Amino acid sequence: MVVSDRYDSRVTSEVSESGDALIIRVAGNFDFNMHREFQRAYRNVSPPPRTFLVDLSETDHLDSAALGMLLLLRDYCVEVASEGVHPQVELMNANSHVSHILSVSNFDRIFSIR
Amino acid sequence: MAAFRVLIVESDASEAAELRHLIQGWRHTAAGGNKLPTDVGVEVAPDIAVALETYEEFLPNLVIFGPLAAARVASGDIRQLRQSGGIEPVPILFVHDLTAPQVPVEPPTDCDDILTKPYSPPLVQLKLASIRRFCEFSRSLMAQRDRLRRHHADFLQEQANAREIFGNLGNESCLDGTPAIRYHLSPRAVLNGDLLAATYTPDGKLVLMLGDFAGHGLAAAVGAVPLTSIFYSMMPRGFSMSRVLREMNRKLHGILPRQMFCCLVMLELDPRRNHLRILNAGMPSPCLKRTSGELLLLESRHLPFGVLPTDQVDTSIVNLRVLPGDRLYLWSDGIHEARNSKGEHFGECRLMELLRADGNSAQAFDQILMAVNAHAAEQHDDLSLVELDLTDDSLNRSGCPAADQAGDRRGGRVGNWSMRLQVTQEELREADPLPHLLGVLAQMPGAARFQEDLAIALGELFRNALEHGVLGLDSSIKNTDDGFVRYYDLLAERRSGLQEGWVSISLSCSEGKQGGTLILVVEDSGSGFPEVREPTGVYAGRGLNLLHTVCDEVNYLPGSSRVEAVIRWDVAEKDHDTAEAHRNAIQNTPLPV
Repeated sequence: MVVSDRYDSRVTSEVSESGDALIIRVAGNFDFNMHREFQRAYRNVSPPPRTFLVDLSETDHLDSAALGMLLLLRDYCVEVASEGVHPQVELMNANSHVSHILSVSNFDRIFSIR
Repeated sequence: MAAFRVLIVESDASEAAELRHLIQGWRHTAAGGNKLPTDVGVEVAPDIAVALETYEEFLPNLVIFGPLAAARVASGDIRQLRQSGGIEPVPILFVHDLTAPQVPVEPPTDCDDILTKPYSPPLVQLKLASIRRFCEFSRSLMAQRDRLRRHHADFLQEQANAREIFGNLGNESCLDGTPAIRYHLSPRAVLNGDLLAATYTPDGKLVLMLGDFAGHGLAAAVGAVPLTSIFYSMMPRGFSMSRVLREMNRKLHGILPRQMFCCLVMLELDPRRNHLRILNAGMPSPCLKRTSGELLLLESRHLPFGVLPTDQVDTSIVNLRVLPGDRLYLWSDGIHEARNSKGEHFGECRLMELLRADGNSAQAFDQILMAVNAHAAEQHDDLSLVELDLTDDSLNRSGCPAADQAGDRRGGRVGNWSMRLQVTQEELREADPLPHLLGVLAQMPGAARFQEDLAIALGELFRNALEHGVLGLDSSIKNTDDGFVRYYDLLAERRSGLQEGWVSISLSCSEGKQGGTLILVVEDSGSGFPEVREPTGVYAGRGLNLLHTVCDEVNYLPGSSRVEAVIRWDVAEKDHDTAEAHRNAIQNTPLPV
């Protein structure tokens, strides 16, 4: 792993125009170095949104640790569901390399991807 | 010992006393701004020789050379003094006497700073306070460095222990027992959660798995322990691949933290039937390379293990017919993700190019390793690569460790007994009766002599009864490559939807002074063997051929589902030779392809 990569990567989040979705955008390399930022992005929203949209349009690469983070997000949705709404997770705008990784791991089976 | 220690080097007693007075009158201002009584220790050495002696005991934080000593000291002495200080920097101050009759024109160069005489107490105290802060800072830095060093040493020790444990996990494997398998599994890959395991089933099939735990470091690697222990305990007992995979998924889902999972390829190669079954759960596609040059990528059809409590193992296993010269390449993502200095991954395309360019020279294994190492900018060596020669002769010769362990029991008596087992639709849908049956037989002393033959015969007869009898599948479907795959899809489908049917297995053994006979009878609820076997059904004939190689007699009648197989042995014969003879027989019998 090239260490300098992590400095180009970052996580940003914003509430969608309709107001019921949180868009989390991961730019650069989505890997283990992102895990704190990624977790902060979805945990600090109260009340939780109806949908977490993970925008992968600026994601160059995604490794197994990132897949693990997506699983944690999925778990978090189950956790907050006890307070009322059960948020959904959607992945969108993955480039061909990233969607290949998602399909190799068959994550399209547990996440809706658009 | 005082918290802040100052060593004064001065031969003139009154000069020394003045400095001592100046220092002791200083009140150190702590970080909080509170004025604290100063915990300052002062020692005086009249000359450099005494100073060096005092140094080691007193361990000063600061050395001040009085005006006379400063004027006289040699550079070499200062160097020696600094060396006694070790790695922690100890500042050296010279007193620069502006009142002396001869003030040196050049400022001193050996010291770190100077105090000018006549002394200005506020300036001296300011300087002392700042030096003290500097000392505290460097001391805490040293303490942190020491702690890091200790942690690092502990970490290396843990890694060494872990490497040994993970190395030992492989002791049960048959990876090194056959030239058919070549593998490279770097220590770093192992510590990052890659694992490779291989063993034989009781009926001589080779099972191999390559796994990759998500995550980094030891935390990722610990999952390898339960995984390999399930593999090595269930496979040699004859549990089916699906059953073992299901158990692994259940176990991993139970113990792994949510963000961790395991990508896995498991394959089962039946060298006698040239049948390869493979499940890919999230690993980079293994590649089957045929002598025709055809490359076949076996893509992942299953979620990684440990993600969901349920699995779709049965519908995700791919069945392939093995052709002579077929080689299979397996790898973990360490190879795909090796980056060059531009940050480009090695990637699947480069791998395919290498395999394509290799032709039939079988050099691909070394070439891949070389190419990845040449490509990777950093020598990170996170590589796992396996090459399996699917039609290597050595695979027909079982190296099953269970059989070796059983060797000392070969001579025992088997005895006179019989047993009957009948399984109906519910069990046939999911369960796996053979391991339990073989497990019971394995407990008998002396049974080891026919263990493998029996496992093969039972497996053949049971499969026959289930697939053709109960499920009514026609072997002739298997004659084309597409059909081969369709046959096994159909099998999984019909089996899971089975409403009615049974298979009965009975074993009876009689043993006398000269030798013994084991009679196996398998019947099923199906319509029985067809009158004339269609000439196209050559593949189906293979099952019978195989039976003849391990049994002394095979009897069945058209229109009936009853098959009887007989295994005989002599007590007097040398068991080892028999086993050899059997193995040779298996190798030499030409099987129709």
